[in-house]
Amino acid sequence: MQIPFRVVFEQRGETPRRLSLLVPFASVVAALFFGALFLLATGYSPIDTYTNMFRDGFASFNGITDTLALSTVLICTGISAAFAFQMNLYNIGGEGQLYLGLIGGAWAGIALGDHLPTLLMVPVVLLCGAIAGAAWIFVPAFVRSRLGTSEIVSTLLLTYIGASLIKHVIYTPGSFFRNPNTSFPQGRMVADSASLDSFGSSRLYPTFFVALIIAGALYWVVKRTEFGYRINVISDSPRAAHYAGINARRTTMWVMLISGSLSGLAGAMLIVGPYGKIEPSIITLGYGYAGIVVAALARNNLGLIIVSGILFSGLRVGGNNLQVTTDTPIHIGVMLQGAILLFALGGEAFRRYHIHIVRVHEATSQKASA
Amino acid sequence: MSNTSHEVAQGPHHTSGAASTALSAHSIDKKFPGVLANDSVDFDVRAGEVHTLLGENGAGKSTLAAVLCGLYQPDAGYLMRNGKRINLSSPRAGLQHGIAMVHQHFRLVERFTVSENVILGSRDLPFRLNRRELNENVAAVAESYGLPIDPDATVGDLSVGQRQRVEIVKALYQGAEILLLDEPTAVLVPSEVEKLFENVHAMTAAGKSIVFISHKLGEVVEISDRVTVLRNGRVTGHVSGRGTADTRELARLMVGRDIELNAQRATHATGHEVLQIRNLSLSINDVSVLTDISFSVHAGEMVGIAGVAGNGQRELADTIAGLISPTTGSVTISGSMTTDCGPIQAREVGLAYVPEDRLGMGLVPSMSILDNLLLTRDRQIVVDRVSVRPEAARLIEQFEIKANGPDHLARKLSGGNAQKVLLARELSGGRGATKLLVVCSPTRGLDVGAIETVRRLLNDARSAGQAILLISEDLDEVLSLSDRVLVLYRGAVVHETPGETAQLSKVGAAMAGLASEGRS
Amino acid sequence: MSADAIAIATTLILAALGALFTERAGVLNLGIEGILLTSAISSFLAADASGSVWLGLIVGTVIGAVLASIHALLSVVFRANQIVAGLALVIFGTGLANFLGKPAEGKTVTTVINPLSFGPLSDIPVIGPIVFGQDIITYLAIALAIVASRYLFSTRPGLELRATGDDPATVDAQGLSVARIRIRYTMIGGALVGLGGSWLMLAQSAGWHQAATTNGLGWIALALVVFAGWRPMRIIFGAVLFGFTLQLPFTLQAEQITFIPSAFLEMLPYLATLIALIALSRPGSRNLLGAPRALGTPFVRDER
Repeated sequence: MQIPFRVVFEQRGETPRRLSLLVPFASVVAALFFGALFLLATGYSPIDTYTNMFRDGFASFNGITDTLALSTVLICTGISAAFAFQMNLYNIGGEGQLYLGLIGGAWAGIALGDHLPTLLMVPVVLLCGAIAGAAWIFVPAFVRSRLGTSEIVSTLLLTYIGASLIKHVIYTPGSFFRNPNTSFPQGRMVADSASLDSFGSSRLYPTFFVALIIAGALYWVVKRTEFGYRINVISDSPRAAHYAGINARRTTMWVMLISGSLSGLAGAMLIVGPYGKIEPSIITLGYGYAGIVVAALARNNLGLIIVSGILFSGLRVGGNNLQVTTDTPIHIGVMLQGAILLFALGGEAFRRYHIHIVRVHEATSQKASA
Repeated sequence: MSNTSHEVAQGPHHTSGAASTALSAHSIDKKFPGVLANDSVDFDVRAGEVHTLLGENGAGKSTLAAVLCGLYQPDAGYLMRNGKRINLSSPRAGLQHGIAMVHQHFRLVERFTVSENVILGSRDLPFRLNRRELNENVAAVAESYGLPIDPDATVGDLSVGQRQRVEIVKALYQGAEILLLDEPTAVLVPSEVEKLFENVHAMTAAGKSIVFISHKLGEVVEISDRVTVLRNGRVTGHVSGRGTADTRELARLMVGRDIELNAQRATHATGHEVLQIRNLSLSINDVSVLTDISFSVHAGEMVGIAGVAGNGQRELADTIAGLISPTTGSVTISGSMTTDCGPIQAREVGLAYVPEDRLGMGLVPSMSILDNLLLTRDRQIVVDRVSVRPEAARLIEQFEIKANGPDHLARKLSGGNAQKVLLARELSGGRGATKLLVVCSPTRGLDVGAIETVRRLLNDARSAGQAILLISEDLDEVLSLSDRVLVLYRGAVVHETPGETAQLSKVGAAMAGLASEGRS
Repeated sequence: MSADAIAIATTLILAALGALFTERAGVLNLGIEGILLTSAISSFLAADASGSVWLGLIVGTVIGAVLASIHALLSVVFRANQIVAGLALVIFGTGLANFLGKPAEGKTVTTVINPLSFGPLSDIPVIGPIVFGQDIITYLAIALAIVASRYLFSTRPGLELRATGDDPATVDAQGLSVARIRIRYTMIGGALVGLGGSWLMLAQSAGWHQAATTNGLGWIALALVVFAGWRPMRIIFGAVLFGFTLQLPFTLQAEQITFIPSAFLEMLPYLATLIALIALSRPGSRNLLGAPRALGTPFVRDER
């Protein structure tokens, strides 16, 4: 089959600013458009669905605060993913590292809570969560830097193991993490000193600002410090790193550990914030995977993640409420999230390449720009 | 599969209008962003002829060759084959017309065997492959042109010369009548070049047409029936008649002015020992890569290492630069042992290293010139870009680097400018003042202007008292610039001679391992 | 092994073969988990609605190919980052599967494919039932692995496929279309995964449990391809081994060994896979022996 056209992808030297902003916007619109078609085809109203989603995510007091509250977690898991991804280290196990952060934070909150004041306790809980997350990624990081084992599969397998661990610590009778006062399996509450209050009647906690600060700090680290310089060199050219005497293996370990600790931190934030205990339902929420989407939408730019984190959280919050306000099932929200990412990926091609369609003719070829 | 036997066409010595034109190109234009690679180019080749496309790097000869075989489509102009207009939309189309190109960088799947590579892409193959039968067929085609190969060998294990042979067999197996050879001698030892020329004769005797693409004047004169010279995308002249072509005339057509064919070796005085290599040996995966190498380089001296690519040059350079730890032996720079200390220590005592791989190793492509300057320097915890900026601007001006300032991205630099950035950085010192410059393939792929500049910079550095170790596959360059020449073969120094009195035959033989019919 | 463990092993073989074909062409499709789920639910719904298990299998296979084509479009045509594209597909596929599966919550499969009957052969003690008493799809999976092996190593298209994953530039230089080959095998791979997903649903007596239905089987399949060194015959071996780790909890229970916590047993397959993966790694870059060299890298013809 001879096609009379040829699509030529010509790598752009640099991308015009206008296009960089237009493409993500257009991707979201395209995803929403196809989503609307799907909704129509399956008998739901796109208008109802979308307006409700928007209102519940962004346009009401509860909506905004819930969105920001969720973004606390998603920004953390987002920077966890982005920090590693920028070096082509695919830490897909943020989900599992978050579970471990939950466990680590809960341990600190339960075991140490009665001995320390809140001012000290909260940082300790967060630290323990971060360490737990780092510990969970340690083995994949180690075998990746020493043996070249694919971190994609190893971190993922550990996520499933982590999920089993969560179930184990909740469902096992007499477990340290289980509430001793109820027969129904439930997480044990951490001490009061390890629990923060939310702002007013909302579900937004001060940990939101911790997330923002960390995102900003890491952005600065990558752009301005020696560590960030090394990351940039290694991710672009491992041979140049070797040439310059940069120890890629050590940097790889550190980047992975930091990435793991960020997802662990997200888990600990849930402990000092909304949860106060280990909630086994965490394994159905997919916060870690959502972080990967947030990172991909922000093109692994640590500053932009704050924006994509908040926007994506709004989408989720709006979507979650769908089943309550309309009869559209919650899964539409998940599908839309996946669709937006798919379209964003496709849109990237327009950013990176100048695409023409070339007609293949008789004597000479004529170009018709697309 | 084409195993046709041709009537022996007019031999190469009967160049009259009687030989038919096999392929011709008319008024070919080919544009790329920012450059007109081919400007109204006419070219043709006859059956049984060797027609060379001569030009410096960047002149447009590879582009024209790509157009001739269908890899590129011209923006204007057309091709004719045996008198009929054709349009080649792809290399496959080219192959259908019997036109095939043997690229400079081989297109071979290393993991596959020779015959798997030869048959890959062949349309006449049956669905099921009978290995034995295929091996026989491939071997037969190879034999008939005097190109013996082992069909079952894994390509990854073959030497460069052998791989080239596989590429040629592949083209012939798939029915090529017209072969385009892109810089085929760049990777060959003088004796292998002889063999190649014999094979070329065998092919033209069978009526094939060969288009030879090269920038090497000497060989061109020996092998060609006709020569077309390109400069800046335009044809500047045709020369014909084997052996009667005047190299000066060709050089003038290539460059547009008289150039000094032999670079000057600057006069100087040598000083103390800056680099000392003692009994250096290196084994990788139980394979001996470097064997008992000893030599030294003094201040104000340029020592050249000659040899065909793949004989340990890169490993030697990397070891001296501290990137590899040798198995035994020592490296001493400016009196300090740097053998197992890593590149940073080596630089602190005065090492500078311009690697062969410019944009992948010496420079970080996505970083700016300024950030690249910082690559080999001491950086603080918080990287200080402000104080380096004026120096960066100064170096850009001093080395005449064509860029928009220190923030210009490295990957956007042309080959020549990237090389200048590297030299600027390495010569200006990093962690310590530069005393020893190790430079690999400094002028490969550069246009003549850049080549002259780079050689001048090297000469100036030598006059200023630097010790320079020049490692290059360009034998002419090594012989003309170096004070002393060492020949590297299979990781050992097999010959040493002062540059001025070097004898090409001896050096060439050493490069081939002292065997007269150099087969590695 | 229990019927469930064999069904899972069969699914693994099919999914891993699908991943193998895709990866041999140089495309990394991490979306397999999502494809498994979506084809599982689609096949279930189709079988339930029509009463025909075969129709269910066909629908699931087609759905697998369709979803994979999205990945092919993104990875090959748009040169997107294949890893992120695969994950996006998992998210989308999971959402889609759950959406479609709403009406099927709690339902179980009512129609079953009968095991092939080999007559008296299956009465041979011990090995009889094991070797001759399996479902036709299981035999099909093994047969496919054998066919895949011959295809890959002894045919012309197999040669082209292997070349594409190893050195697309060379394939391109020969005038073959790298894009077309990659799209083709990504879709074929998706179809095989789809068949595996359908079988997972239709062979087991359990019903639809949303994401727990596949429980990470897609990722195990990907790991399996690595162990097998991208060779089809070894996949059978790995799948059988994995089946045994799944079987272990039930065997232990039967033998009254109860001191091992259930959570540990639950994580055993994943842990075993992880350990095996690490054990098979060797130091050095890209240790994956036999990995197609261009795996995961979009191919752009070097135009200057």
